[in-house]
Amino acid sequence: MTTDESETRRRRARPHTRRRFLTAAGAAGAVALAGCSAEQVDDGGDGGGGSGDGGDGSGGGGNETDDGDDGTDETPTLTVATYSSFIDAPSVSPGEWLKEEFESRYDATLEWATPDNEVNYYVERAASGAGIDADVYVGLTTEDLVRVDEQLDDDLFAEAGDVDGRDAVKGGLRFDPFDRAVPFDTGYVSLVYDSTTAEAPETFDGLLDDEHAGALIAQNPGASSTGRAFLLHTINRFGDGGVASDGDGEAVAGEDGDPDYDYLDYWADLQENEVRVLGSWDDAYAAWSEGEAPMVVSYSTDQVFANMEGADLDEHQIRFLNDQAYANPEGMAAFADADEPELARQFMSFMLEPDVQGEIAQRNVAFPAVDGADLPSDYAELAQEPADPVTFTYDELQGSVDAWVEAWERQFAGN
Amino acid sequence: MTGADGERATDGDRGSRAARLRERVESNALTALAVLTSAALVVAFYYPTATVLVEAVVVDGVVTLAVFAEVLTDPFYFGELARLLSGESPVAVARALLSPDRRLGIVGFTAYQAVLSTIASVALGLPAAYLLARFEFPGRRTLRSLTIVPFVLPSIMVAVGFVATFGDNGTLNAALTALGLPPVDLLFTLEAVVIAHAFYNAPLVARVTTAAWESVDASAVETARSLGAGPVRAFVDVVAPQVYPAVLTGAALTFVFTFGTFPIVLALGGFQLATVEVFVYRLVRDLSYAEAAALAIVELVVSLGVLLAYLRYEARNRTRTRGARPLPRRSLVPPAPTLRELLPRAGLAAYVLVAGVIFLAPIASMILASATGGDGALTLEHYRFLIERQQTGAAFQVRPWPAIRNSLAFAAAATLLALPMGVVVAVLTTRRYRGRTLVDAAAMAPLAVSGIIVGLGLLRGLVFGVEVAGWRIAASGAVAIVVAHAVSGYPFVVRTVSPGLSGLDRSLVESARALGASRARVIRDVELPLVWPAVVAGAAFAFAISIGEFTSTVVLATGADAYTMPVAIERFIGRRLGPATAMGVVLLVVTGLSFVVIERLGGETRGL
Repeated sequence: MTTDESETRRRRARPHTRRRFLTAAGAAGAVALAGCSAEQVDDGGDGGGGSGDGGDGSGGGGNETDDGDDGTDETPTLTVATYSSFIDAPSVSPGEWLKEEFESRYDATLEWATPDNEVNYYVERAASGAGIDADVYVGLTTEDLVRVDEQLDDDLFAEAGDVDGRDAVKGGLRFDPFDRAVPFDTGYVSLVYDSTTAEAPETFDGLLDDEHAGALIAQNPGASSTGRAFLLHTINRFGDGGVASDGDGEAVAGEDGDPDYDYLDYWADLQENEVRVLGSWDDAYAAWSEGEAPMVVSYSTDQVFANMEGADLDEHQIRFLNDQAYANPEGMAAFADADEPELARQFMSFMLEPDVQGEIAQRNVAFPAVDGADLPSDYAELAQEPADPVTFTYDELQGSVDAWVEAWERQFAGN
Repeated sequence: MTGADGERATDGDRGSRAARLRERVESNALTALAVLTSAALVVAFYYPTATVLVEAVVVDGVVTLAVFAEVLTDPFYFGELARLLSGESPVAVARALLSPDRRLGIVGFTAYQAVLSTIASVALGLPAAYLLARFEFPGRRTLRSLTIVPFVLPSIMVAVGFVATFGDNGTLNAALTALGLPPVDLLFTLEAVVIAHAFYNAPLVARVTTAAWESVDASAVETARSLGAGPVRAFVDVVAPQVYPAVLTGAALTFVFTFGTFPIVLALGGFQLATVEVFVYRLVRDLSYAEAAALAIVELVVSLGVLLAYLRYEARNRTRTRGARPLPRRSLVPPAPTLRELLPRAGLAAYVLVAGVIFLAPIASMILASATGGDGALTLEHYRFLIERQQTGAAFQVRPWPAIRNSLAFAAAATLLALPMGVVVAVLTTRRYRGRTLVDAAAMAPLAVSGIIVGLGLLRGLVFGVEVAGWRIAASGAVAIVVAHAVSGYPFVVRTVSPGLSGLDRSLVESARALGASRARVIRDVELPLVWPAVVAGAAFAFAISIGEFTSTVVLATGADAYTMPVAIERFIGRRLGPATAMGVVLLVVTGLSFVVIERLGGETRGL
């Protein structure tokens, strides 16, 4: 039924669009006005637009967030915002399964929203006063929360409150000290290497050996989450040398126990050993796949994909440096001014159910956030977890992460 | 195109009232178009961009220049120059600049690599223009149409093609090894970045220059020759003055593009070669808007400075032409085995070899990658993925066919919008009046502002809209995308059309006006036909800009219905690059065909 509905909506949108094109072609600049929408800000709607429906003034044809006025007292619609590969990836993604499953278990319609700027889009919406227009965000990281909280005075997200299954979430993954974000899966950033050309070192220090000169491809920590995770891992390992301390002398101590050698020293050595820091994960993985270097910073689930494609697993080996990997738990949270707060909470409970947790892990190629998720017994064979996962907490990142990244940038790109 | 317009006008011509109306419309058409162009620019560019740039000087509601001061005096950004800006003696700074361990700063380095890229692009673009404008050979028109295909390729595609061509295990090294030559280590160096920039921009130089070269009037050359000038002298005195403004156009645009370069630098160079835009991106991502806006303004000032310097030069170095009959093309087969006939052709042969490595090999590698499976064997599975996604993709997923359809529809509409906008601005900026520099700067600004900033501005200014008297006015979806694309593309129409227009003999226009033709009519019936190759080139660029556009499109697209081919490519990137490269090849083919169609529609002969 829902598919039919969206079909109709799309069909309705099409002639509309075409007409607008003709206007565009014929009347040159006049079109500047044609795609406009005007909505009264204070809801004094004249019967047509009831209160609380998603009409936010984003015009244009075929808007997936348009609720349709006819739906007010029928099935409620839950708008779930997320990053695009969660619903649309070339291999697998959980979006479609989750939508079907949620709609079959609850009397609700689930609509996905994937703005290009991800969470920042909602920060912008909140700052502009345009209304949030979504109920839940799926895919929050610790850093996202730190950034959002620094930027906005009011809360963007609501406290999770009564979400069934929250108690089952693994202790080490709970990253929000204010209990807004509930983790739903986690990934580990590790090295992936091609064992047919080289053997990866066991430790961070090993990466500095001559034999690994030019052997590692990493990513820009300013733009890529794997790149940032790897940078944070080196800070965890070697300490920050007081970079973020504002001169009060308090430094984040590294696990290496040497206060005179911090992450910037390590990166200077790594740069000396010709590490390649490319822009995005795509750039890095593509260059690595072409054999430009034997090692790349990536996810510890790499073999799951390699196996799907029938690739040689020897070319897709995982290395946890110092038996560790940086954990990137992903969370979900309801927006503070969600139109459907109750449904949002039900959705979050749904996301934590054991069978759903298993599906998310497999389809998002990650690890479940709860103990006792339903996973095939051989899942762990290909999706590897480190003996010792490390991650920075919200409090550790707050006020520090920007300075860490900036200091690294200034050292690495000093022209 | 003019013919079709004329027919449409005749269709609508019903009775004398309509005729009178048409007359009135015609006489005011120029003003009306100028007003509409300004309106489109304000709505889809100036206002949105201003909402972001203002953050550089208004921090927490207070007007301040502190952020600027900090950026300008930061040696990280400005190198030794920052010391000058922070008040050190010029002598000390000059000495530091001359020392071997001088610091350029990120801004200085960005300009440096842009200069290198511009030189490389001109060096690789000019021979192509020479070949396309002066020689006749089978497939010449198609080749000319296809020149700007590299211009539209998403950076991930170029990165894939370049790694496969120039990488350690790439085609080039395989060829060198087979020839018994030592392999080259090109990737992750400045050279790789410069070559990639030339891949994108040499076609631009070539296309703009070809258009100008084709507009050179043969009779002027013949006159010079009949007055006793040798071929070299005739070239230097007659042809070159008409061609090199176009070369400068291409060079100035290349500088501006490569100064604002972003993903390709990190994909093929690495973070040690980071440019200003890399930091703008990171700062916007971290919501550090004040510093991001300050850096974007620095970029804007540098880019606009270069564009304006070039425009001043262009204005001062006009050559008069009544150009109508193009120079006859020469055959690629030398008519006589003399040195003078052989030398240029041998040079071209060498050029074709280099161009083959730099332009064709990466594209060929891209196509090969789209047909190679995980096991290295040839396969069509990635194309099957596209078909499968089309058939079974969920409504909220990006599917290939709507992406193709949208790309073509948006690009066609944006081109039709950009053409009148560009022509109007070209006409306005070829007149002489006070404040013309300002108009020039305003008209060219869309080229010079960071794409990331424009994207954020469109989100704020258009998608979220503005509150006016209790109403929130917003715009997004197809129409907004078309207008945004037209705004990005129209400066190309201006830049290709304007040099030709300004060079036209004014007496032509004046006599037509004296005979009672409206200004708009003179433009349509006299001036544009005389610079027609430039109009067609401008149209091709506007189309290309729209097809390749990504940032504004994803910001303005609401739902999965307005997505274009570059968005589909981005969505299809995964562990394996196959699906994305297959979509990239689709983009390649669709745009290649479109360019051929545009140029065929544009025709080769001109209206006189």
